[in-house]
Formats: sequence, structure tokens, C-alpha cells
Amino acid sequence: MEAADDTRSALLCNIQRFSVHDGPGARSVVFMKGCNLRCAWCHNPESINPNPELLFYAERCIGCGKCFAVCPSGAHVTREGRHIVDRERCVNCLRCADTCYAQALAVSGERVTVDELARQIVEEKPYYGSEGGVTFSGGESMLRIDFLEQILARCAKERVHCAIDTAGNVPWRSFERALAFSPMFLYDIKAADPQTHRRLTGADNARILENLARLSESGARIWIRAPYIPGFNHGEARAIADICSRVNAERVEIVGYHRLGESKYAALGRSGGIDPEPPSRAELEAVRDAFAERGVDAFI
Amino acid sequence: MKASFSTERTALSPRVRRFIDNIHEEKRRITLMKNRDFHGKLNSDDWGYVYYPDWKFDPPPSTRPDGVIAGYVPIAKTLRKFVNDMPTYVNKNSALGGAWVRVIAEHANIRVVPEDQPEHLFDVWGKYATRPGCFGMNHCAGDMEIGLKLGWGGLLEKVRRYRRVNDPVDTSFYDGEEEIVLGMQEYAALVAAKAGEMARGESDPDWRRNLLDIAEINRKLVYAPPDTFREACQFVAHFQTIDRIYYAGGALDQIDRFLLPYYEKDTREGRLTDEEAVWCLASLFFNDTHYSQIAGLNPDGSRDTASRLSFLVLDAIHYLAIPVNMALRVHDGVNPALLRRALEYILEDGSGVSFSLNIGCEQGYARNGYPLGLARQRIKVGCNWTAIPGREYPLQDVTRANMGMALHWALKDVKDGDPSGRTLENLFERFAYHVKVIVDSIKEGYDWHYERVSRNTPELIYNLFMHGPVERGLNCAEGGVDILNFNIDGVALATVADSFAAIEQRVVNEKRVTWDEMFDALDRNWEGLEDTRLMMKNIQRFGAPGSLAEKWALRARDHFVNVCKSSGTPKHNLPIIPGMFSHGTILELGKELPATPNGRFAGEEISHSAEPDPGFASGLNSFSPSLKATAVAKVQPGYGNSSPLHLDIDREMLRREGGIDALVQLIHAHNHMGGTLINMNCLSKEQLLAAHEKPELYPDLVVRVTGYSAFFVTLSKEYRQQVVDRFLA
Repeated sequence: MEAADDTRSALLCNIQRFSVHDGPGARSVVFMKGCNLRCAWCHNPESINPNPELLFYAERCIGCGKCFAVCPSGAHVTREGRHIVDRERCVNCLRCADTCYAQALAVSGERVTVDELARQIVEEKPYYGSEGGVTFSGGESMLRIDFLEQILARCAKERVHCAIDTAGNVPWRSFERALAFSPMFLYDIKAADPQTHRRLTGADNARILENLARLSESGARIWIRAPYIPGFNHGEARAIADICSRVNAERVEIVGYHRLGESKYAALGRSGGIDPEPPSRAELEAVRDAFAERGVDAFI
Repeated sequence: MKASFSTERTALSPRVRRFIDNIHEEKRRITLMKNRDFHGKLNSDDWGYVYYPDWKFDPPPSTRPDGVIAGYVPIAKTLRKFVNDMPTYVNKNSALGGAWVRVIAEHANIRVVPEDQPEHLFDVWGKYATRPGCFGMNHCAGDMEIGLKLGWGGLLEKVRRYRRVNDPVDTSFYDGEEEIVLGMQEYAALVAAKAGEMARGESDPDWRRNLLDIAEINRKLVYAPPDTFREACQFVAHFQTIDRIYYAGGALDQIDRFLLPYYEKDTREGRLTDEEAVWCLASLFFNDTHYSQIAGLNPDGSRDTASRLSFLVLDAIHYLAIPVNMALRVHDGVNPALLRRALEYILEDGSGVSFSLNIGCEQGYARNGYPLGLARQRIKVGCNWTAIPGREYPLQDVTRANMGMALHWALKDVKDGDPSGRTLENLFERFAYHVKVIVDSIKEGYDWHYERVSRNTPELIYNLFMHGPVERGLNCAEGGVDILNFNIDGVALATVADSFAAIEQRVVNEKRVTWDEMFDALDRNWEGLEDTRLMMKNIQRFGAPGSLAEKWALRARDHFVNVCKSSGTPKHNLPIIPGMFSHGTILELGKELPATPNGRFAGEEISHSAEPDPGFASGLNSFSPSLKATAVAKVQPGYGNSSPLHLDIDREMLRREGGIDALVQLIHAHNHMGGTLINMNCLSKEQLLAAHEKPELYPDLVVRVTGYSAFFVTLSKEYRQQVVDRFLA
């Protein structure tokens, strides 16, 4: 990769406009690439890797063969009559994607400058209303704090409400820098027990919980989001609720596991990790009841 | 603004519930029967006609050797005979009697006489596959108050009075109008007799009472004007009947305005409950799918006109659950509970009202030189189109200037011309030339229309409901009303814009394909060149943020608007209003258009109205309703005629907390960005795909197709695909 200026630009994998799923009101959700957790159920797998990645949608391939010709490493091969991308050989040069007009090959990760992103966010301003705005998500958007600081400043100037969707696994200093622009936070609590957290995400949750406590003390507006993954963190509900009850959260949401990330795993040539059955409404209501037992009114 | 009336949903008693449910079932029966005979190819408004497959009409003989029936008196006499001869339908569950059975032109040779056909324009219209609008009919709206105040008896007296006042040598105008009124008086009497006859054989007390009421109301309406809410609805239903029979007219004025005095008087005097009003309205909507509007600003812009009746209109649509073409005029001060209720019903029912937006419609119309106070009275009374009821002849939705054909001929000019002319600028110049030829030929056709339509197919019905025609003895299309406007709809905007952008990106900038290779690919309809086709198709298309195509869309829009507005028609200087509405003609117009540089195959549909093509959002920018809304708002023609935004919202999105609030914001935002009309469906992907696969299993599924609502089951596969493509975009 070129030596990109991480202050003035960032790699994004998607901008989802008019979303009512990530924070109050209608919002533009900016998905940044790069994450330092490895959640077993991640439904945005294309956002984990901080670099551009090749996506391959086999069903769109028209068999023109151009990708075979430009590939320097012979990663495009035909096996049993089917075009496949051999990820072991692929050197991620991404030349093939440029030749693929059928869009069977595409790149996840587009570098967008602060100016361009600000322009796109502001263009959506009429739709935000009094509640909505922009949510920076990912991946872990807080890992891009240099860029985030810049875009938060621009949004503040344009009077666009900002939210940061974070798992909190970053130095507190990053929060301090973001807090200068008074964003709200959508804060993920995936597990309360450190062992469970490490097993599910590959990282300890001590820093995450400490940051949450400090964020609460700072008076920041916080929505806590607790993913519910059947068979993986089902025993965590009460303990997560206890954490929620100790912080000054405006709202707590229980987010049920879903399979919307399935096709993305296939396009990335990765296995999808765990794949539990998505929870039923009744299961989610039971989790909500567990929160309620601890005095936390949660939304599902 | 705090409402001084109830905004609650109307609760229905079992008796009224039974009536409305039975009307719904009757509609379903009729629809399935139509679908059986028309094989799912009713690609238009459902309309309200009751289907009598075996009934045949024997029209009076033509006075012409060629058998054509044209002009005031021959057509009016035919209409009078038609309403007397057609089966008299009375439904014991409906509050209203009568129904129409088919458009008269299907049963009688009513058309423009051959010697009045503009043969000198046929070549140019054929070359560009133009839908010229010449001799277009019925795209105007009456002022219902005129009829409601006078009744058929009063209308007859008015026609006779002005015949005496004006004392014309040629009395055909008044003779024709008199025939219409007499026919409707006879029809009301027939309905009264039929209802009375049915009552005599009815044992159920509720049904018997209802039939007796229908008989009594219709006997009264033969001469007298309506006094009550139900009588007013019955009068309007008869207007709908004759309006539809003659050229399928479908404009109904502002329903919560013209019925309000009757509602207020009856409820004040204890004669009418809200549920009875809902039943009357549901019966009216069963009778026909005439286009109407609720809410909006009063003429001076000081207040919202919504009332309790506006809410009852929404309740009636909801309980009846059949296609109804109602628009809600949105402005900053629109009753928030009304807007919210409309969206709640769309969530529950899948379809409902459309949203006509005041800023684009009213301020746009004012740019034609009319005061804003008048513009606020211009309401949505058609698929996309608007009119000042009773005061404007606004001929809209009858033309299609296919800019795709202009592009096709421009490409041919560049291909056949000097190689030095293979530049984007030259291509656009040739495109601009051909657009002007198309528009000029439509203008010329409008002059022809103005001079000849009245002696061929006069607006016999609307003349009675307008301010001026009867008083002046002039058809409304030739100066019977003070305000005449002629619309030209430019279509295929995204097809053109994406084509220019594809050439700019792939041919000019990236040089991945040469001009010759592109011309060759178009000539071969991309055969054997799928990779090239996809290369041209998969660019940042119109609708994607910051796309090259947006620049071309704006440029094409500006040129089209300029040639429309730069002059009136060549002979009579009739005013032109540019629009961009394609209706469902994207299929038939596409069939006539060869392959285009945006990767479109010959014969495929063109783009819709002023909308981006399905699938325009890709890569970093995934589809969102707001992205589409922004694109449509940016390219509005800007003179008050509606260019709609179709939104097919995922039910899950609307159901989610904050979903309705977000849509309210989107509607207001589109209004402020210059949008004019939003047509909305609320469906789930699973439901839509299942219904597309087996529509007969979903006989109650109502969708908004373009500007009109229809049962999904009645649409052809191609029309159903349009709805599916939009949803999956």
C-alpha cells in the first residue's frame, strides 16, 4: 500500500445511508476498515482487515478470463469447471478487480478523504432531522482516531450529530480526543466474564470496561449494545446487565445474532467461524427479562 | 399546530364492518374474474368498473360513412344510450348505487375523424417513437362543488340558460351537454328503480334498509342537488361513472374539501356518525379509483386544510383494502398526526396514499407566471399530474418525448459524420438538436390539438364541472377555462445520462474502448461482447454520489427544460410545462429503442421518470432511499409538474422504532430539496418475491405501480418485474 495519510483519509468499506439501526434517528453509517477484536460471529468480516481486500462473487463471473491474464501469481484457477480464487497464492495486488466489468471481483476498501466524506455526510443532512446524523462504525473506528478527529471536527462545524460505534478496546487517550467533539457512543459489551470475552473476541475486556466506566464519568451520551449469540454468551446476560446498571447509559439494546454476514465470508474466501441458529423473538425476550431482573430496561 | 378535531382511528361496529368487508370481497370477486379473462395483463389503474363479460352495447348509428362517432352530439347521444343500456349495478353492502361497466370506446367507434389526423407529423413522431399527446383526453379536473351545488337538475337548467344567453348558431355544444345531463338523470332513476326492486326481495333488515335508502337518494338526485354527506357521495359516484365511461377520466378534486360542508352539517345535526362516513367513503372508493387529494395549504398559505374528514378518508382506505388513488399534500405545517397515520397504514397494508409535495409543485408552478395563491389550489388528481380543479386545462401525462431516441440518432450522426466529430461535445450537440426536434414536433401537434379536438372529442363531462365552458359555450380545451397548459414529459433521463457518462469514462477518459468499437457493439446489440457491455454498464451511474452521470443528467434536463420553456407552441403560443413522468411506458418505449451505451440491450426498458436505474448504487455506496430521493430531487424539471420518486420500503425498516419518524423526515426533506411526489410501497422481500412467483396466491396484495395503485395479481409479469426490480435495487 502507498503511504496514505491516515489523518486526511481512511479506508472505508461501506457508507450506509438512511439507517435506523445504528443510533437515534436516520443516520449515515460509515464503516471503516480495521478491527483489533476477532469476534467469532462478526457480521462485517470485510471490516476486520485494515487493508483493501479482494472480494469474489462467483455467481457474477461471466468467464471472460481477463483476471487470469493479469494475475501475477496464478491465483485465478479453474477447478472442476469452476473459477475460484486461490487465496493462498493471491498476493492482494487487486489488478484483477480492475479488469472485471462483471463486478464478480471487487475491492473492499476505498480510500476516502476527510473532504469527500464530509461532503457526502453533509449532502444527507436534510434526512437526519433533529435526532439523526452520522455514525462511525467498522471495524473499530476508534483505531482511526487521527482521521476520526478530523471528520468529527468537520461534522461539528456543519452541525451534524455524530455517534461512534465502538467495542472500546483502544487507549483511553483516543476517547479523550474524540470527546472533544461531544459525540455519543454506541458501546458494545460482548461479554462480562474476562475468560468468555477472550474466548469470543480474542482479547481481554479489562480495558473495555475501564474505558466504559471513564466514559460514563465524563458524562458522554452512551447507548450500550449487547450482542446475543446463542450458545456463546447466553450466560452473560445478567452480568452484562450489571455492568449496564453501573454506568450512565441512556439506552441498552440487545442485538440478536443474524446471518447477514454469510455471503461476505464467502466473497472473502473465509470460513464464517461460528454459525449458531439466529435467536427467536422469544429467546431475545428472555434475555431482555434477564436484564430487567437486574433493573435494566433493554430494547430488542 | 394543534388539531381541534379528533385524530383517532374510527372504530367500526359489526354492522358497518360487515358492509365494508363484503364490499372488499365483491371487489376481490370482480378482480379475479377480470384476471381470469385478461390473463394478468391489466397494466393500468384497477379502476372500479364492474365486469360484465357477456354484455354488448349497440351504439346508435354514426352519421358518417366511415362509421366514426365524433363531435358533441353524436358522442353525447352515444353516452346517453350507453348509461341507459348498461347493466344497472347495485350492491346491497355499499352505501351508494350504480357502477360503470367499461370505457365506451371499447364498444363504439368514438375517435378523431381521419381527415383531422395530423398526417404531416406522423413521420417525425415515428422516427423518435414520440407519444405526442395530440388529441389527448380527460387529463383535467372538475370542480365538484359546481355539480354538488346544482345537482343534475341544476346543471340542466344552467346549460339551457346559457344556451339562451349566448344564442349560438351552432348549438352542438349545448345540445351535447344537455344529452349528458339527461342521460345521467335517467341513469339515477334506473339505479333508484333497481335498488327498490332489490329491496322488495331482500329479507335481511340491514340490507333492505340500505337498498331502500339507495333508492330514495337516487330518486331525489334525478333533479335535486344533494343535501347530505351520503347524497353528495352518491352524486360524485355518478360523476365518476360517466367520467370513466367517456375516455376513462379519473380526476376527483380535493375530497376533504368538497365533502367537508356535508360532513360538518350532518354530524352537527346528528345525522351522520364517523363510521357511517367511513362506509360512504369506502363505497365511493369501491365505485372507482378516481384520483384525489387530502390536506394541503389553504390559498393564502396560512393554514393546513386537514380536518377530521381527512382522517376518515385514510380510515376508509385502510378498512376497504383495495387500490385507491389518494394523495396527501405535504407541507411544513401538515398535520403531523395525519402524515403519521398515513405511514402507519402503509406499514399495515403495504400500500396507501402517495405524498404530493408542496414546494416543488406550488413554487414550481408559480414559475410559469401564476400567483402562489393559485398554485396552492393546484392539486394532485392524476397518476402524477396536478390541476386546478374547474379552472385549468392542464393536459398532462399524455406525451412522452423519448430522449433515448434523441441519443440514438445523435450517436448515428456522430458515427456517420467526420471522424473529427467524435467528441462528447459534438455528441451532446447532436443530442440537443434531436431533443429540440422532438419537442418542437410535440408543440406543433398541440396547436393541431387545440384547433381540432373540440370538434372531435370534446370534454363533455368536465365542461359541466368547470368555470367557464357552459357560460361561454366553449369546450374547456379551446378556451372554455381561463388557464390552459400543455405538458411535455421527457423520459429516459437516466438511460441518456448513464450513456454519456459511460462514453466519457470508458471511451474518452480511460480509452478502454474506441468510438468505433462502441458503435460496433451497439450495432451488434452487444452480441458476443458481454464484457464490453458490462464495462459500459458498470460505471458510477446516475444516483451514485458524485457520479459523472449526474452531470450529464443535469445537462440533459436543463436542455430539455429550456427547449420546452423557450417558446410556446408555434401557431397559438400555447404555454408549455416540462415534466418527467414515464408512467409504465418504459417497457413499450424501450421496445422501440436500439441498444444504448449504458449497456442496455435493444428493446429493454428505458429508465423510469426522473429516477436512477435499479442497481445504481454499488461499491462503497449501498442503496438507500435517501440516495435515490436526492437524485430524483436534483433533476426535477422545476415548473410544478410532478416527477415522482418511487420508494419501496422494507417493512422491517418501517416497523423498527424510529422507522416512521425517519420516513416523515425523508418526505419533508424531499419536499425541501425540490421533489414533487413520492409513491410508496411497504413490503417484505419474501412476500414480494413469492407474489411475483405465484401472484394468484396473493389476490389482496395492493401495490403502487407508478402513480397508480393496482392489485399485484392483475399486472403482467413485466410490470410485476418493475416493482420487484425497484425493491431489490
